[in-house]
Amino acid sequence: MKKNSLSSICEEITFSNFFKDHVKSLRNYLFYKFGNEEQADDVTQEAFIKLWQNCADVPPEKAKSFLYTVANNTSLNHIAHQKVVLQYVKRNKHTHTDDQDPEFLMEEEQFKIKLQKAIAGLTEAQRTAFLLHRIDGKKYHEIAEILGISIKAVEKRIHGALVELRKEIENMR
Amino acid sequence: MKDDIKLAKWLDGKMTERELQEFEALPGFETYRKIKEYSGVLTAPDTDIENIYQNVTRNKNKRSSVRKLNPWFAKIAAMLVVTLGLTYFFYTTHTTNTIAEAGKRTEFLLPDNSSVILNADSEAEFRTWNWDNNRKVELEGEAFFKVAKGKKFDVVTNLGTVTVVGTQFNVKARENRFDVTCFEGKVIVKSNGKEVTLTPGRSVAFENGKNINIPLEEGQQPGWITYEVNFHNEKLTNVIDEVERQYNVTIDLPERSYSNFNGLLPMNDLNTALDNIATVYNFEIKREGDKIILTSE
Repeated sequence: MKKNSLSSICEEITFSNFFKDHVKSLRNYLFYKFGNEEQADDVTQEAFIKLWQNCADVPPEKAKSFLYTVANNTSLNHIAHQKVVLQYVKRNKHTHTDDQDPEFLMEEEQFKIKLQKAIAGLTEAQRTAFLLHRIDGKKYHEIAEILGISIKAVEKRIHGALVELRKEIENMR
Repeated sequence: MKDDIKLAKWLDGKMTERELQEFEALPGFETYRKIKEYSGVLTAPDTDIENIYQNVTRNKNKRSSVRKLNPWFAKIAAMLVVTLGLTYFFYTTHTTNTIAEAGKRTEFLLPDNSSVILNADSEAEFRTWNWDNNRKVELEGEAFFKVAKGKKFDVVTNLGTVTVVGTQFNVKARENRFDVTCFEGKVIVKSNGKEVTLTPGRSVAFENGKNINIPLEEGQQPGWITYEVNFHNEKLTNVIDEVERQYNVTIDLPERSYSNFNGLLPMNDLNTALDNIATVYNFEIKREGDKIILTSE
């Protein structure tokens, strides 16, 4: 164990790389959870500090799960949440809008707004799973690891989220 | 495929060709397709990753320095605890000790502002801590107490205890002699299992545990306060002892039996005091420094 700890998270470079690899998803995950950027940033920071403080006891392969466990536990103290406000990636106008007819574009914009609203209306469990997949491109098994649930449970949440989103969007018509 | 995860499989691109065809034929498909498409271009608000990293490293360094200090911190904490404990111990058991040496007097105040005048060659001890619940003065020798009104306390001597309530009184506990005189208020004296309550002017005296009659005290305070001590039928040896204490001198007295002494002796004028005694007993006075030799004429 002692030898391992040399190449462990306690190493500045290892820690720094680990941070770069995971900070964005953790922070986004917490943002989906709280709907509040500041809280998300705070808990992210806290989780990484805790990881650092316990670096000697956490082998690198366990660091990710440690990080999310800490984040989840810390989150218990944070009261959820504001509406999750998400933006759409700005598309390159030339490739898309030029050959689209205006009516279609308007419908597209309307749908996007409805989708935003519907996502904000999801339960926290559905929203975090769904957005980790859609925005962060996480695989289901990764989401399962992050949330500390089974892959099956992730799939159920994603399925549930889609059903809910469709229902909400179609009701908004 | 189970229905409750079907859409998840589709979203993940895990549907078989057939499943996909069936699904695409369903009325909801178009909405699902759009959800998939547009949710794919959603983005979470950006944050200052670098700033978070700075904060983390700043805190981690803080922590590591704290870690180094940990044993020190523990040591300092332990030392503090011990120091505080000892301070508390000494404070609670600490006694204020006031001594009047031979030939000198000391006046001091008790925590309740009662005043005590210690006669020469006397010692008083009390605890400042928790005085309100433990009003007790230990006395060796003689002292005049002027106790603040309504304050009750005990004067403990090795010859007896004096309990007082808002009063002025004199306690003398020397060798085998225990005298208490009340000047104001009420005093309860306990000695050798006897309890005597004194009212102003009254005195009680025990010599070797035996009660001695003492005449009514007419003054407002004991004579020694004003350096005049009135002796009533007092053994000459006791008188000489008192003179020795007051003037811090040694007096040689011829060994024989004497009649008791009656009368006033000044305690700030050694020559007059010695003259008075010499006159009564027909002594000749010789002085050698602090030593005084009385010889019978």
